Amino acid sequence: MSHPILSVEDVSKTYDGFKAITDLTFYLFPGELRTVIGPNGAGKSTFFDLITGRARPDKGKIEFGASTAPSQDLTKLNEYEINRLGIGRKFQTPSVFVEHSVWHNLVLSLKGSRGVFASLFHRLSSTERDRIDELLKLIRLDGKRDWKAGLLAHGEKQWLEIGMLLAQDPKVLLVDEPAAGMSDEETHRTGELLLSLAGKHSLVVIEHDMTFVRQIARDNPVTVLHQGHVLCEGKFDEVQANPMVREVYLGRGKHGTR
Amino acid sequence: MSSPTSSHASFGARHREFLVVGVLLALLTVVFPVLNAYGVISNFTLTLWGKYLCYALLGLSVDLLWGYTGLLSLGQALFFSLGGYMLGMHLMLLIGPLGSYAKAGQNPAGLPDFMVFLGHTFLPPFWRPFNSFGFAAVMVFVLPGLLALIFGFLAFRSRIKGVYFSILTQALTYASMILFFRNDLTMGGNNGFTDFKFILGHSLDDKITGPATMRGLFVVSSVVLLLVCLFCHWLNGTKFGLVRQAIRDGENRVLFSGYATAHYKLFIFVVAAMIAAIGGALFVPQAGIINPDQMSPAKSIEAVVWVAVGGRGTIIGPIIGAIGINALRSWATHAYPDSWLIILGAIFLVVVLFLPGGVVSLPAKLTSLWRRRSPAPSAPAVAVTKPAPDRA
Amino acid sequence: MLLLSRLPKLLRSLLLAVLLPVPVLHAADTPRQTIVKAILTADDNQKRELITSLVGQGDEAIRELFTAWRQDNLYVYTAPDGTKIPVELSGDKDASGALTATRVDTGEPLKDAAGQPLHLVAAKQAAVEHDARLRLAMKNVVDLLDLGSPLLAKRLRAIQTIGAAQKPDKLPALLARSALETDSKAKAALREAIAVIELADPSDDVKLKGLTELRDLHASASYDLIKTARAKGEADAKPAIVKAADTALAAIDQHKSVVNFFGTLFRGLSAGSILLVVALGLAITFGLMGVINMAHGEMITVGAYATYITQKVFGEGMQFTLPFVKIAVHLPGLHLTGWAYQLYFVAAIPIGFLSAALVGIALERSVIRFLYRRPLESLLATWGVSLILQQLFKLTFGSNNVNVDSPVYLSSNWTVYDVTFDWNRVFVIGFAVVIVFGVWLALTKTPLGLLIRCVMQNRTMASCMGVRTERVNMLTFGLGSGLAGLAGVFVTQLGTVGPSMGQEYIVDSFMTVVVGGVGSIFGTVVSALGIGMADQSLQQILLNPVMGKILVLVAIILFLQWRPTGLFAAKSRSLD
Repeated sequence: MSHPILSVEDVSKTYDGFKAITDLTFYLFPGELRTVIGPNGAGKSTFFDLITGRARPDKGKIEFGASTAPSQDLTKLNEYEINRLGIGRKFQTPSVFVEHSVWHNLVLSLKGSRGVFASLFHRLSSTERDRIDELLKLIRLDGKRDWKAGLLAHGEKQWLEIGMLLAQDPKVLLVDEPAAGMSDEETHRTGELLLSLAGKHSLVVIEHDMTFVRQIARDNPVTVLHQGHVLCEGKFDEVQANPMVREVYLGRGKHGTR
Repeated sequence: MSSPTSSHASFGARHREFLVVGVLLALLTVVFPVLNAYGVISNFTLTLWGKYLCYALLGLSVDLLWGYTGLLSLGQALFFSLGGYMLGMHLMLLIGPLGSYAKAGQNPAGLPDFMVFLGHTFLPPFWRPFNSFGFAAVMVFVLPGLLALIFGFLAFRSRIKGVYFSILTQALTYASMILFFRNDLTMGGNNGFTDFKFILGHSLDDKITGPATMRGLFVVSSVVLLLVCLFCHWLNGTKFGLVRQAIRDGENRVLFSGYATAHYKLFIFVVAAMIAAIGGALFVPQAGIINPDQMSPAKSIEAVVWVAVGGRGTIIGPIIGAIGINALRSWATHAYPDSWLIILGAIFLVVVLFLPGGVVSLPAKLTSLWRRRSPAPSAPAVAVTKPAPDRA
Repeated sequence: MLLLSRLPKLLRSLLLAVLLPVPVLHAADTPRQTIVKAILTADDNQKRELITSLVGQGDEAIRELFTAWRQDNLYVYTAPDGTKIPVELSGDKDASGALTATRVDTGEPLKDAAGQPLHLVAAKQAAVEHDARLRLAMKNVVDLLDLGSPLLAKRLRAIQTIGAAQKPDKLPALLARSALETDSKAKAALREAIAVIELADPSDDVKLKGLTELRDLHASASYDLIKTARAKGEADAKPAIVKAADTALAAIDQHKSVVNFFGTLFRGLSAGSILLVVALGLAITFGLMGVINMAHGEMITVGAYATYITQKVFGEGMQFTLPFVKIAVHLPGLHLTGWAYQLYFVAAIPIGFLSAALVGIALERSVIRFLYRRPLESLLATWGVSLILQQLFKLTFGSNNVNVDSPVYLSSNWTVYDVTFDWNRVFVIGFAVVIVFGVWLALTKTPLGLLIRCVMQNRTMASCMGVRTERVNMLTFGLGSGLAGLAGVFVTQLGTVGPSMGQEYIVDSFMTVVVGGVGSIFGTVVSALGIGMADQSLQQILLNPVMGKILVLVAIILFLQWRPTGLFAAKSRSLD
């Protein structure tokens, strides 16, 4: 196997005595689409927080390494520096710029210089405008491009956030519950989209919806988190068959339910 | 923080607002001095309005931070005063040789009177360059800008925001005020600087030539205000404006989009400090005095009142607020001296409680009230006009 | 002849040996009686001995009589029965040229057998003579008179003056006084004065003795004299003296630093306690409720004026006119005196708390309840309230500061080991402890406390659970304001009371809460004491209160670099 693009080794994080993450080790390889599942409180969101610099691990190593460049220690960087390395995140609760129009949301997210002075004299090139138009069509918000993002429905906000993530063109996409609040048809389409991104990008997807997980994890590895550490890893069917997983997670009757 | 800046989101309204401001200010620049020259407007009134314009600059600096970026700074009066002090130093050096000590032959070095009074025999080294107007003018920007840069760097680096930022800026202002009250700072102590006589060779207090200087200062103030408005208007249309507003509405999301929000906040904090400072520098020759009272935390909060009353997150709001409240003060402190502070406090309470958008939002509010009464269903309020394709 | 003339001298010496302890033997003699004896005796030497025996006495009559003696106003009146009575003649001459006569032995007017005051013509009486040696003896007594003054302060001053002059001839007088002195402070001062005089002694041994004594006494007042002695020792090449002086100086330095340290600690603790009481109220309204109450300072003012009014009511009563409505309020006085009046301060404590709490509740009901989700707006609105209240105070009580008396039980001090402990400061520290404990109890052990904590954590949820959040908000805000009122009651003992007094505390107390960590009562306690200490220490080090204050503010800004959310902050995992 090639060099992992994201490696998390022996990481722990405690919040006021509560062990959110314990000795977690996790590798993501270039082009991979990894699905992370786990019951509530398994530490899935904290896991993303640690990678994106929102929280600092108490111990352990988190490194980002494109194979061409020396790897970067993410625990020393802050949110925007990590983002600029090429790690984008979609939050669990849709988080868009509610007072900005859909169009402006995408303008703000578009890949490019993030500097203060660049922002003062920035003008959209025609390529950039085309890219935004393209994204608007992809997320099916073309007709609402001038709407205030705060006025969109929950599912539309999810799509907008996915669009914002794509606009950043990151190397690694961390996607937290993308299907929440979407219709079956939309969920399916989200799955297709994520599958199409794999290969070119590396993705980690957290999801509860097992239909969705089955869709995206058919040929891709799944990691099960439980009480802050990795319970098991493998193909969806293997994981599903794992008795430990069945006991802590699937055994609770969530299997296949919507 | 929720903010009712619907007009801001609308591009057309944005231009319309600036057009109104621009035309009004341009008219003011021409009409007031002309009317004054023909004796229709008294010298007193003209100077008073000149000061209002300086206050409007202070208001705009508060608005840039609070209205547009969500940073409630309670220290803008400090930057205003610092700007005033910088120019004041130059003006003070001009009058030293004319002071009472010099007349009594006790001031061979031509120091400002307060220094002779404190027993100084030579000019403190940091005062020397202020003999040059150019240096003083540059310092008007440099010193407040530098202070804002250092303080802002520390504050934003450690992600101090919301009310913490407000409290910290208030503490900074308070510390500076007690520092300036001290005589050994050689900045005039609690009397500050006053009795100015000249600026760039023009008399400030002469009965014949003084009014012309004041007209000049009025025109300069008005033009500077117009330029600052133009700058704010331009800033609103840039990507910087988008990022700034995004910081106001949800800073963390901006961070996760790869923007170093601290740098954006620092930039706008420094710019706002400089705008306040130039307001202060223009204020000093027109008011004829600058002292540490001007930088008290209360003055800073008062500037916030102007913005809140006028309407924050707009360009015209702070101008309306600054001029309106100060005009009201000029009238009320004579008509109801005992009640003025109560009136001011009450206005503030009423605006915060019942009119969060300020006076500017009043027409829209009345319109919507009227529409609610009228039977015809109105268009959905969600429609937002198209973004300008050439911008952002 | 030679022998004869020598004999009396010998006798005199013998007599002297016997007579020296005269004041001790004739302890019953008052200074006046001694002076009478000195006047009546014919022997000049005995006269001098008797006069000298008065050294160390503190009776003011001595000064008066000696002055009269030297100004030739003393006479000896021979009564019809032949008794010789020394008198002082004074006043204006009457028609016969006679003057008022006062008996030297009693200070009473001289009376004849019928009990009528006698007036005497000076020329007809025998004048009491004096020569140069007698006058010198009298001057010595008068110079040392203050040593025996019944007033401790006067005595101490005299001892220090005599010591500082370093005249060896004053040594016996000081020694004599040491034997009589009972006060420990004066005793220590005498030891110091004696040691200082010993410093000027030509003998090295005596000098060393003096230096050792000064070292043991940590005599900081004699620091410069020791330095002089050291310089002299150095000039005379006497290493022993230089060494002893160095030891003494080091001991004094150390003592000084210890005293300063504890003094600063105490002042820091008391300053921190005031800050604590002020900030505790804020920790509740700002920390727990998230309301930025800029009128918190005015709640302090309410407490202070409540104390003022209470004091007036306990005394002569007061009148004031409510502004705008022009209603004259007349509060009749209770006209209490003595201890009953002094108790006004005790009564002011609950009154101050309740009045501020009521104003706070009114403020919460009328303004703040609309602004719970808008902290920045609550800052601005309450600033408006603060302006209004300040102006109302000004119109009601005048713009000048009012005077609040200190009750006797708060206006004295203890001095322990040269460190002064003012009672009002001790009281403030003690009361802060009580209040912190009370607030802790109220928040953790009472049903209201449980409700407060639950509403503050999640207003909506608490409301859904059936908690009457409106009432809890109101009471919590009342509690926070009441605490500010309590602070106001204390501030009357330590600072000025005026319409804008609250503004002095507002910046400091907000900083205290921010440094402590918003929402943490314990953090507020730690940060209040820390800031109080830092403030006082910096004032001590820089000898400049303003620079100290500025440095503290700078330090706070730098501290927030390290801990942006304060010492003990509640952590949150939500995005915004």
